[in-house]
This record gives sequence, C-alpha cells and structure tokens, in this order.
Amino acid sequence: MKKVINFTLNGEVVEHAVDTNKTLLKMLREDFELTGAKEGCGAGECGACTVIMNEKAVNSCLVLAVEIEGASITTIEGLTLDGILDPLQESFIDNAALQCGYCTPGMIMTAKVLLNENPHPTEEEIKEGISGNLCRCTGYKKIVEAIEKVANDNEE
Amino acid sequence: MKYVGKSIKRVDGIKKVTGSLKYVDDMKFSRMLYAAVKRSPYAHARIVSINIEKAMAVKGVKDIITGDHYKKRAGLYLEDKNFLAVGKARYKGEAVAAVAAVSEDIAKEAVKLIEVEYEELTAVTNAIEAMKPGAPLVHPDLGEYKTAPIFFPKPGTNISNHYPLRKGDVENAFEEAEVVIDNKFYVPHVHHVTIETHTAVAQMDLDGSCTVWASCQSPFAVRQALSEAFDIPLNKMRVLSPAVGGGFGSKAGTTLEGIIIPLAKRNPGRPIKLTYSREDEFENTYVRQGMHATIKTAVNKNGKIIGLKNEFVWDGGAYNEYGVNIAKAAGYACAGPYDIDNIWTDSYCVYTNHPVGGPYRGFGMSELQFGIEQNLDIVAEKIGISPIEIRLINGLKPGGATATGEIVKISGLMECIEQVVEDINFEEKTESSKPNKVRGKGIACGWKAPSMPNNAASSAIIKLNEDGTAHLLVSVQDIGQGSDTVMTQIAAEMLSISPEKITIKTGDTDHTPYEWQTVASRMTYSTGRAVVEACKDVIDQLLELSQIKLGLYKRDLELRDGYVVSKIYPDRKVAIGDLALGLTFEDGSGIHGPIIGRGSFIPPNIRDADKKTGLGEHPVAYWTYGAQGVEVEVDLDTGQTKVLKVASCFDVGKVMNPQLLEAQVEGAIVQGMGTALFEELILKDGVLLNPSFVDYKIPTADDMPEMVIKFVENPEENGPYGARGVAEVAMVPSAPAIANAIYDATGIRLRTIPLTAERIFEKMKVLKRGRRGSCKNN
Amino acid sequence: MNAFEYFAPTTLKEAIDILNEKGEEASILNGGTDLIVRMRDGISDPKYVVDIKKIKGMDDIRIENGRVFIGASALLNDLGNNQDIQKRYPFLSKAALSIGSKQVRNRATCIGNICNASPLAGMATPLLALNATVHVFGNYGEKDILLKDFFVFVRKTLLKHGEIVTGISFEEQACLGVFTKISRRRKVDLSTVCSTVVKKYDEYRISFGAVAPTPVRLNKTEAFLKGKMLSKDIIEKACELAMSEVSPISDIRASESYRRELVQVMLRNSLSQWY
Repeated sequence: MKKVINFTLNGEVVEHAVDTNKTLLKMLREDFELTGAKEGCGAGECGACTVIMNEKAVNSCLVLAVEIEGASITTIEGLTLDGILDPLQESFIDNAALQCGYCTPGMIMTAKVLLNENPHPTEEEIKEGISGNLCRCTGYKKIVEAIEKVANDNEE
Repeated sequence: MKYVGKSIKRVDGIKKVTGSLKYVDDMKFSRMLYAAVKRSPYAHARIVSINIEKAMAVKGVKDIITGDHYKKRAGLYLEDKNFLAVGKARYKGEAVAAVAAVSEDIAKEAVKLIEVEYEELTAVTNAIEAMKPGAPLVHPDLGEYKTAPIFFPKPGTNISNHYPLRKGDVENAFEEAEVVIDNKFYVPHVHHVTIETHTAVAQMDLDGSCTVWASCQSPFAVRQALSEAFDIPLNKMRVLSPAVGGGFGSKAGTTLEGIIIPLAKRNPGRPIKLTYSREDEFENTYVRQGMHATIKTAVNKNGKIIGLKNEFVWDGGAYNEYGVNIAKAAGYACAGPYDIDNIWTDSYCVYTNHPVGGPYRGFGMSELQFGIEQNLDIVAEKIGISPIEIRLINGLKPGGATATGEIVKISGLMECIEQVVEDINFEEKTESSKPNKVRGKGIACGWKAPSMPNNAASSAIIKLNEDGTAHLLVSVQDIGQGSDTVMTQIAAEMLSISPEKITIKTGDTDHTPYEWQTVASRMTYSTGRAVVEACKDVIDQLLELSQIKLGLYKRDLELRDGYVVSKIYPDRKVAIGDLALGLTFEDGSGIHGPIIGRGSFIPPNIRDADKKTGLGEHPVAYWTYGAQGVEVEVDLDTGQTKVLKVASCFDVGKVMNPQLLEAQVEGAIVQGMGTALFEELILKDGVLLNPSFVDYKIPTADDMPEMVIKFVENPEENGPYGARGVAEVAMVPSAPAIANAIYDATGIRLRTIPLTAERIFEKMKVLKRGRRGSCKNN
Repeated sequence: MNAFEYFAPTTLKEAIDILNEKGEEASILNGGTDLIVRMRDGISDPKYVVDIKKIKGMDDIRIENGRVFIGASALLNDLGNNQDIQKRYPFLSKAALSIGSKQVRNRATCIGNICNASPLAGMATPLLALNATVHVFGNYGEKDILLKDFFVFVRKTLLKHGEIVTGISFEEQACLGVFTKISRRRKVDLSTVCSTVVKKYDEYRISFGAVAPTPVRLNKTEAFLKGKMLSKDIIEKACELAMSEVSPISDIRASESYRRELVQVMLRNSLSQWY
C-alpha cells in the first residue's frame, strides 16, 4: 500500500510515493539510495540510523516514512552538499574518532544536533548526548574529543 | 622516519565520515533476490520432516532449500558443520531451511509457512556435564570428521579437542610447595556486537563462477572454505569484502555465506542477499566460548610459583570447527605471562547445544587471564605480598621460559607493570566523596601470541604509476583497526613518497594478493613485512634502472621524496614516475617495463609443539606483553560499579601510528569493561534469553573511564620497523583488573563475569551477615 | 512489517470515527517508538494505523487554571526540557529525560509511555505521586480516569478500543520530590526499579515501578509516614514496610530479592534528603 508524501530531503523538495509499512530508514536506503544511515538494530537502541528531522536527531528506524509528511530531513549525505566537509567530519578524521565507520554517520548526525542546540557542551553533556549511539571500536574517548574540538572552535 | 611512527590520518576517513563507503548491505544489484532463514526453535532436535509446499506457493518466492539439498560438511580446522542443518539441529536458531524471494518481506513471510516436524532430543547445556561418560552426544559421527592433524577430537564423546601440556615434575612441586591454593572461575558466552551485522550477497553464473560479496575479515580463508564446501575451483570462486563494519573475530571464518551459495547455485545469474537482524546476530553468528577454569597453584612463601595444575573446559557450542584452536591457544598460554617450571594443563574444547563458539578478540586469552590474574591476587594475599610483587617475581623476563618451554628473547612486561603502577598510582588509595561509595585499585597482565597455522602467509603487490604515485594491493581487511593506513605508511616510508600518493586496495580474491586471515593481531607484523618486501622489490628495480640512467652504482643510490637520488651527488636524480613503465632511452626504445613489486612473508621457523607434552621451542611467532591498572568505585547501596580510570601499557615493539594505536587500545579497554560489567549471553536450556540490545548491554559513552595509554618499544626481530601486534591483547587484562579492583574496594571476589550490581550486592549481603555473625561469636 | 493503511486525522472526532469504523484491527500511532518495533517483530500487526500527532493541540504542555496539562503527543524531551516543569517539578523532568536515548525522546511521548502500561514505565511513578488524571476522549465525549486506576495489569489499561488519551494533568502543588532509577547501564536502559517520592508538608506519596504488575503507590508505607517527623528510625521502619508492600518478580534483568532490596535502598535515600 503506497501513499504519496511531500517533504524536504537534504534541502530538496520531494514528492514520493512510499509503502506505508516502510520506515524512514528503509525509505532513505532503498528508495533514495542514501545508504549513509545504517541499520544496527532496527529498534532504536544503537543510533546507527540517526538522521535529522526538523532539526532534531531521530532514529530513522523508529519513524514511519509516511510520518515525515511536511518535514525536513537531513542525512549524512546532506552535510557535504557544497562539497566541503562539515567541521565535525573534519574533526572526526583529525581526532581518529572513527574506526570501522559503521556508527560514524549516525554519531556525526547526533553530534551535529547536539552542537546546534548547545554550542558549548561540557564533556558530561557530550557523553550524555551521544549515549544513544553505540560504538564498539573506539571506546568513545576520541569521539568525545572530536566533538569537544568543534565546540571549542565555536568559541571564536 | 617521515611517516612510520607518525599520527597519519586515516586513509579511509573521508569515505567513512561522509557515509559514502559502501558496506555490503548498502549494495544493490539488478535482479537481486533476498534470502530469509527458517531456524530451529529447539537446542537439540532431530528433524523429522520439512514441508515447504505452502511457502513455495507464496507469490514472489523463487526457491527454498533445506539441509538435504547440500550435505557436505565444512569447517576451518575440523569439518563438523553444515550451513543448513542435516538430520538434526544442534542449537536453538540453527538454520534448517532458506528461502529466496523477490523481497525481504516475502522471504520472511514464506519462512513462517515452512513446516518443520522435530523430535526434541536432550540438550547438553553444560560443558562439564557434556564431558562425562554417558552424556548425550552432540556429534555422534565425530570420528568420521576430517580434521587438521594438530587437533585431537575424541570420537564417542563431546570432546572436539584435547590439548595437554606436561612440563617438569608437577607432583613434586606440589609436595614441596609451602602453600597450595585451588581456585575455580567461569566465563560465560559473550558476543562481539559489531555495529554492522553479518551480511553477504552471492551470485553464481552458468560458467561455474561464484562471486560472494561478504562483510568478512578473511576473503581468502572464506574462499578456501567455500570452494571446498561447494566444490568450486579457486579460480572460479571470488570473494570480495568491500568494507567491514567491525569484526573482533566474528567475521573470521564463514557463517551465512554458505546458506546463500546453494540458493545462488540453483538460481544462476541472480544475486542473493542475506542480511542478519540484530537478533539473528546474537543467536546465529559466532559467540565467545564459555570457559570453566580450575587453577591449582603451588607457591613458596617468597612468592615464587613453583607449580601449576590447570584444567580449562571450553564450552564450544554446537560446532567447534574454529573453537578447537582456541583450546590449543589456551594450552600454549596456560600459565599466563609467568615463568613457572612445573605445569600440568589439560585444555578441552567441548560440544554443547549452545550457540556456536568461535574467535573473539583475544582468542581465549581474555577467558584464561580472567582466572589467572585473579588467582595471582588470591595467591599474593594468602602469602602476604602485594599484587605487584607477585607479578614482578613471576612475570616473564628475557631469558625466562613460557609454558611450552620457549625461551623468552624479548619481554617488556616488567616495564609495562611499572608504568601502569605509576600511572594508576597503585599504592595510593583514594576515597570517594560519597559515604556509600568505596574505591579500589586492581592490576592485571595480559599476553597473547598470534594463533594461526605455522605457515600463515601474507603477500603484497605494489604497482608504480607514471606520475610517481602507487597502488598498494594487500588483502588485510581494514575492519576498523586502521590497517589501510598503517600499510600505506609503511609503503610511504619505504618508497619515500607521501601517503597521499599511495592508494591501497584490499579485499578481492581475484585482484588482491593472498592473505591468510585478518585475525590474530598479526597484520602489522605479517602483512606489514610483506609490504616491506614488496617495497624492497620496487626499490631494487628502480635502482637497477637508475644506475643505467644515471651511470652511478646502485649502492650509491637511494629513494628520496619521489626520486632516485645519488647519495654522493644529490643533484643527480631521476623521478620514480619516469621509471614506472620501465627505462626509456633517448632513441625512444625502452627496457624492463612497468615496475611491479612483489612481497611475501611467512613468520620464520614456527614449529608444532610436541603432541604428547605440548612443549615446543618456538610454537608461535611472538608474544605481546602488557598490563593494565584500574580504579573503580562501588556503590555499597546498590552494588553498582563505575570504572573511574584505566592505565594501560603494552610492549608493541614499535608504535606505527600513535593516534590510531591509542584509539585501538581505548576501544579494547571499553570492550573489556563491557564484558566485565554487563555483558553475558543469558542461556536457559540452550535458549538465548537476551538476543537484543534491550537486554544485552554494551557500554555507552557515559560508561567510559578516564584512560591513560602508554607503550614500550622493544623491537620484534622480524616485524616491520620492529612492530608486533597488540589489537586483541589490549582487552585481555581489562576484565580481571576490574575484578581485582572490585575486590580491593569491597573484599568481594566473584569468580565469574559479568560483575553485575546484583551479584556484587548479593555478595555484600553475605559478607555483612558474616561480619555480624563473627561479632556475635566474639 | 506487514502492509497497513495509514491515516493522519487532524481532529479527535475524525480519529475516533476511524478507530470505531475499522475496529480492533486499527492501532493508534503516537510517538511510535514502541509500536513500530512491535510491528517489526510481528507482535502487533494492525491493518490500519491512526497517527494522532497531526491533531491540533495534542502536543501542548501548559499550566492553566491551577493544573499542569501534558498533551498526548508532547515529546519526552519537550517535557523534560520544559523550563516550568524543570523549576517546579524537577523530578518529573528527570524522569522524562531518564527514558531511552535523546533520539528516542525526540519521538517518544509521555502519554505513550503511560499507555503502554509497562510495569517499569518511567513516567508512571512521578505522575502517580502527583495524583495525575488521565483525560480520555471517546464517542461519548470526554472522561477522566485517575492514573492510579488507569493501570490494570502488565500492558493493560482501562482504555478501550475507540478511545484516545488526549493528555494527562495534575493539580498545581507546592511539593518536593525525588525520582530515582536504578538500571544495569546508566544510560539508555530500562529500569531495574524506579521510584518517585513526593513530600507535601507532612504527607509522603511513594510510587514504584518494576516491583509489581503495574507501577504502584505504596499506600501502607504512605499511611505509616503520614504526619510523622522523619527520623532514622522512622525511615527504617518505612523501608521495611515498603519492602513488604511490593511484589516484584525475577526476570533476566534482576531477581525478585534484589528488586525488593532496591526498594528500601531507594526509599531510604529519597526520604533521607528531607531528614
């Protein structure tokens, strides 16, 4: 069963007929081939599918595609539309805040909203803010440092 | 050095932070079919019949297979498994049938309609019980299974391998010892929890070629296993591993690839994809084996351990094709990094009706050291010396001997212990500001050798391009550890060109050169050496041509920043790019042709241990030693533990990339902490009760302790620039150090993990009652 | 997830009509963080999904006429970060922010958490202790149900098919309160046990989650404490009473006895703040 929805995807207005039983994650990956968001659990526990919906970080596996009518969606692919890495992306590389890379897009999207909402978070606020994004490789230290670095640059 | 030893940024960084790197599940093929798997609801059951009629009738279903369609057994070291159960299911969740359909939803719908009749059999759910005579047999046909000659299954029992080690005179040691201490420990099954689940796509064509795209650590080992299992010659079998979203051992060997190949065979030209859900991942991929350890120690009052009697019983689960080697690795390492003259060890790998045991970061060492390191603290306390003293007295030093009798040439263990003691400020006890919280410190050592066939081989190819850039071809998979970057660094250093000028290609058995496996913490050492050799080959060819071109002796030439340069007359030089396609003379004619460097490596002189005694002078490539110190805070009200700080130090021979190495160790510590505090596959009668992130918790950023990461560098003889591996051993000391710290804080010693709040709380209650009781007696 | 027809009504009336017309095969979709996972797992399999988030005013959080009102679609993050709530009922705010991850709380709602009627519902204990009232809309119009009566059993409430909870409210009150959650992992985990203790003058309202088939008020313990000056001895007696008043179960998250012990630890620590 399909339903036509209108929404903004990485800055572009989109009209799309989507299966009602598709999650936002499945729609992004299958219909738009935006595979940056990953499915790590399909149950909102790991954060690998995090995208930005109306300026808020959400697990795209916990949103039905039909629910995004009228919404604005930004995926990891939407951070580099101008061909330039986002400061967070730069910082993740500079600080070795990624290893296998599977959690990385979701982690960066969560961090992006975190810094939008709170440009100068404390270390505790960063840890709390990304606690919905599981990473098995890094032990998180360098991720927290990468986000802190961008936050410090926000000072200027 | 310009590039080695420097914190060069990850070469795969941009693709990973932009989400543009394509992992297997991100790949889409035309005419692709999707597979779904019917699984056994029983831990042990005879399959009476399978009816696929209703499922086949579902619109969009293309094919269904069962174990009857393909009965040949497979396995890495012991051929004991079928990818789809044949005759009986040996663990809950084992695949009994697979569907291929035009969509994932349809495939899953069809799976529900497959009707399987089972006759439930008694499940064997405890490895100790499984070893007893009369226990139901998980594999009654064990005697018929093909096995590598270094493993010793016992037909007619559930024992898939027995590794004995007999050194010195143990009986005498125990008679002479001033103190004898007996301890038991148990480590449950845990899971790797890569964030990417297992996934693969397989396609077969009518020309007999088979292509598999898999998230796998070891394309060549997978190719070998699948080629043998499905009778596909190696030249027709291609395995690609485009990207791996975390491995930790779970993606070594074969798991789901073997389910889709028979489907692909029956549906030529159609790629078949299978991606595991998180629940599948917990139940149906390798898990870390459970292990029961008995450790008996003979020690003198001066702290010298003179005898050791151990038994390790590994709960290998339903199939032990990979796990048999963990029991063997534990045999080699049975004394820990300690110098003990008299040892009697039996290490058994045992079949049960539990999920399939397999390689997990540490390959047995975490399980082993969990007991050994706590045992040491218990022994130290009993004879009245400190945890540090007992380690300094018994720890392996150059000139000492390992359990197998190998004489230690290099060991930075003492330096590591001293560094950690300093960084965690071991002697100074701190107090919590909260009255209901207590703090404690603990230390543990770790060691590990690559556990691999003696002749595990690596190779590398370098192709020089005409603009002075190069392609580096290897088949070590970057599963997050940073091998793409480190291999690039090595080539850059050797060839004296910047890393940006090198593109590394991996993971395609048709196009990248042989690599045994990306496991065993052997990549920097082994593949790194192959890269060094390939570079030497390139250099040799360049210098050959340059001496003609420049009219100078080869011995007076060297590579410098993209040129072959005379050491004597620095202005006499030729760009390496100008020689990439061979040497061209002034008349336009040329010689030699494109420069392609080839490097191969097998660690030299590794020989099997003696079959009867388990002793061997050089059974492994090298040992990596290290230690960690931990400070914890325990909440006396609830039993909850917070790991405050971890100090870590390993002897890595050479730090190739400080930033990436530090990151790898940080990850290992937090993973080790997870197994110490939360993680356990909770099994009841063979059924996994917590197959999801709701009830299997791994650490979040909030759980991360303060970490101080140090290294010492005693160079490894055959390693590139003196490097040896550290990937796995970095998590080995974490759990026992935390356990020792909790004991220091509370006086509670749990001989199992995870050290959950509830378990600590219950022990505290017992302890409090005990104290009250003793007061009364007074 | 099986196919279904999706509706996004903009009025309550419209929503009720769809629910009544489609019958039991219709499910209400609010935040979806529970329903979508249940649908994925095949535990819920609705033929019709009625999304109530587009109904006007459903996401309100407002204080008016002496009552605090939390609309059905108000997000946990919006509740937890609401400045008035943070100032006057910090324990309610803390409870909201203790549930799930930030991403989950950007979808999950306070009312959804209540309507799921999990024994360990994070929002239940503060709202029980605040004597909250659930507002229900049906084809008969509006009706109110006291939250303490709303929970019937594990995942069962008084809500009938064809009814929609429009919000929950409680009387404005000057009180102190402590919310406590003990979980295996500090962040993004279910409660092993959770509790709220509210003090209003010499009255104590005590509620616990994950110690009975539904979140509960500890009436006997409350009665014992009423009018008493807190002392070490009184607190200990209250803790003993509380332990006897709960009926937790053993499951893979914790044993019955550990949960019972936590009840006294949590109550003691809560009451001690005012002693």
